[in-house]
Amino acid sequence: MRQVLAIARKEVMHILRDPRSLIVAILMPLMMVLLYGYAIDMELRNLPVAVLDYDHTPASRDLVERMTSSNFIVNAGYIGNRAEIEKGFRRSHFRAGLVIPDGYGRDLARGMDTDIQIVIDGADAATAQAVENYLSAVIAKINRDLLQSRFGDRAQIPVEARTRIFFNPELRSPSFVVPGLTAVIMIMICALLTSIAVTREKETGTLEQILTAPIASYQVMVGKVVPYMLIAAIDTALVLIVGRLVFHVPMEGSWWVLAGYSLVYLFISLAFGLLISAISKTQQVAMLMALLITMLPSLILSGFVFSIASMPRVLQWIAHLVPATYYLRVIRGIMLAGRSWFPFEGGVMLLMAAGFMTLAVKRFKSRLD
Amino acid sequence: MHTILYLIQKEFRQILRNKFMLRLILIAPIMQTLVLGHALNTDLKNVKLAVADLDHSRASRELVSSFFASDLFRPAKVSATPGDIEQIMVRDDADMVLWIPEHFGRKIAKGENAVVGIYVNGTNSSLAGLATGYASAILRRQNETIRRQRLDANPRMAAAVFEVKPVSRFIYNPELETRYYMIPGVVVLIVTIISGMLSGMAIVREKEIGTLEQLLVTPITPLQLIAGKTIPFAIISFLDIGLVTVFGILYFRLPFAGSVFLLSGATLLYLLVTLGVGLLASTVSQTQQQSMFTVWFIMIFAILTSGFFFAIENMPPVVRAMTLVNPLRYFLSVVRGVFLKDITPMDAMPDLVPLAVIGVIVFGAAVARFRKRVA
Repeated sequence: MRQVLAIARKEVMHILRDPRSLIVAILMPLMMVLLYGYAIDMELRNLPVAVLDYDHTPASRDLVERMTSSNFIVNAGYIGNRAEIEKGFRRSHFRAGLVIPDGYGRDLARGMDTDIQIVIDGADAATAQAVENYLSAVIAKINRDLLQSRFGDRAQIPVEARTRIFFNPELRSPSFVVPGLTAVIMIMICALLTSIAVTREKETGTLEQILTAPIASYQVMVGKVVPYMLIAAIDTALVLIVGRLVFHVPMEGSWWVLAGYSLVYLFISLAFGLLISAISKTQQVAMLMALLITMLPSLILSGFVFSIASMPRVLQWIAHLVPATYYLRVIRGIMLAGRSWFPFEGGVMLLMAAGFMTLAVKRFKSRLD
Repeated sequence: MHTILYLIQKEFRQILRNKFMLRLILIAPIMQTLVLGHALNTDLKNVKLAVADLDHSRASRELVSSFFASDLFRPAKVSATPGDIEQIMVRDDADMVLWIPEHFGRKIAKGENAVVGIYVNGTNSSLAGLATGYASAILRRQNETIRRQRLDANPRMAAAVFEVKPVSRFIYNPELETRYYMIPGVVVLIVTIISGMLSGMAIVREKEIGTLEQLLVTPITPLQLIAGKTIPFAIISFLDIGLVTVFGILYFRLPFAGSVFLLSGATLLYLLVTLGVGLLASTVSQTQQQSMFTVWFIMIFAILTSGFFFAIENMPPVVRAMTLVNPLRYFLSVVRGVFLKDITPMDAMPDLVPLAVIGVIVFGAAVARFRKRVA
């Protein structure tokens, strides 16, 4: 125990001697939460749409008025001819062009069908689809109003939906960003810091000096990683505190339950860090590897932003090998739905922790001895 | 000139000696494109929908089958009853529940209006928002059909109907493939990571091991050293852009509409920034760890506010103002424009000018700082 503490103290001194790295390790997660929390809103807003109005009647102005009445779409201004639409797309000045033909108002007043054209920049497919959906909904509403003015109630919507959203009724993004970021940050920071700490000693040659000292290799390992585990734990706590205090992310479940599952996840992260440091010889390699195998999969394949069910089969399999996939379900379940019992996810995480840790210790020992 | 060539040769030998680095440079970009190209897909599929149909009429079955007509929704393994909807959500057995009350079919048949319930699991708010949008689009179409049937049953009314008919046209990407938009972004991401990280570590590594001093006692000038330490990474970046672009065109059938010349020019300007940041980080750092962390910090910040994942229009004004100094934002816009829209250099000017300004400032600062440190 004394030896372990001595190694840990040495590691803490290393950390304190390089305050900039420590600041980055602590500020980075905070910055990510603040930025994601404030800046990332999956709901689209303020999409600029240009209007080409050949009609110039109260009816056409009413159409434009209705289109821009919500803050989903803003009027990017009137343009004079068709060529300007594509030019605006190439310069990303607006996302769609609404072409109102000459005679639009007259046809409506006479009770005739009229066409209007919507030209959409399809480059950003998801946004283009959303713009299309929105504009067609507005037009459907106009048509409904036309019908209603002629036929009264018989023209109402036949099936009306009452939508209710559970657990996050306003669909606030912080409530989904903060749990997701916790999963990404914990594994990223923990794996990154531990793997760099070990490979640095390898690279500078001091690891051999430590090993010649009368300390067992597992003691070296434990002493070295404990301080970094602490930093990762502090980061996690900070992210959750900021999420709670600044963004008012709900906490429906119990903090203790969350802490328990998080500890298992922390062990998995640690095992990743040790595995990386066993494989890589230089800090450069360790760092890039840590980013590649922890940060990217946790961010992209875990179901944090992109739905796993929508991915191709092979990627779905890979996604189920990513620890963050399970932890994410747990932390969302605890914080937003108030669950506390996750037999499947908890079991998989325990298995992963045990498996990766055994593998890491084996690799690590065989490299050292 | 000879000296620079020797330095470049040395740097390449050092990179190629490490098998992992070689793999990182050649295989990782392809893997990333492969995975990201498939995963970064905002089209929703296979949303688990549980149905509580208390009506069992033709109309209710038609409504249900309209939900399952595409691969957007698939039936959840559980069937719902009105009492256990919340329980189903808590257990994550369904993402959405459609509840059709009794007498639904009778009301529709009589020409009255009916109500259905849609319950959504909001734990993943982006998924929930998209799924709700899709569900209301399906309902809207179903309503159109029902209304048309009602009108057709009444010819006098049908003759009097007129409406505004929208004709939509998508240009540049008529099939609305998300990956056509994402893969050019991956190109930008890879260039950023490779050039920023590698150059950020190159000089500091020599510092840490102590070989920098050896280099400095040779008659190599600081400028030659800088050239020798940046040109190899510029070459590797170009190689990777080519690799990813060709792979994207062959595997993902990515269109490449624009000019290679414009893409190369913009890349060159952008490399000034990333290599400059890398160089600057390595002059102000003592250890590789410090340098990597500094580069990484800047990089994450730049990536998050570039419009890669999240549209810039959506950001609050303060963050939107910050993106004005983000070089990645401009480069991303040019690359996407070149790939998808065949933009001309004139179209790209509003992006190229700020990119050039930032590049010159950052790289200039890095060179000045490096010379001061070394001399």
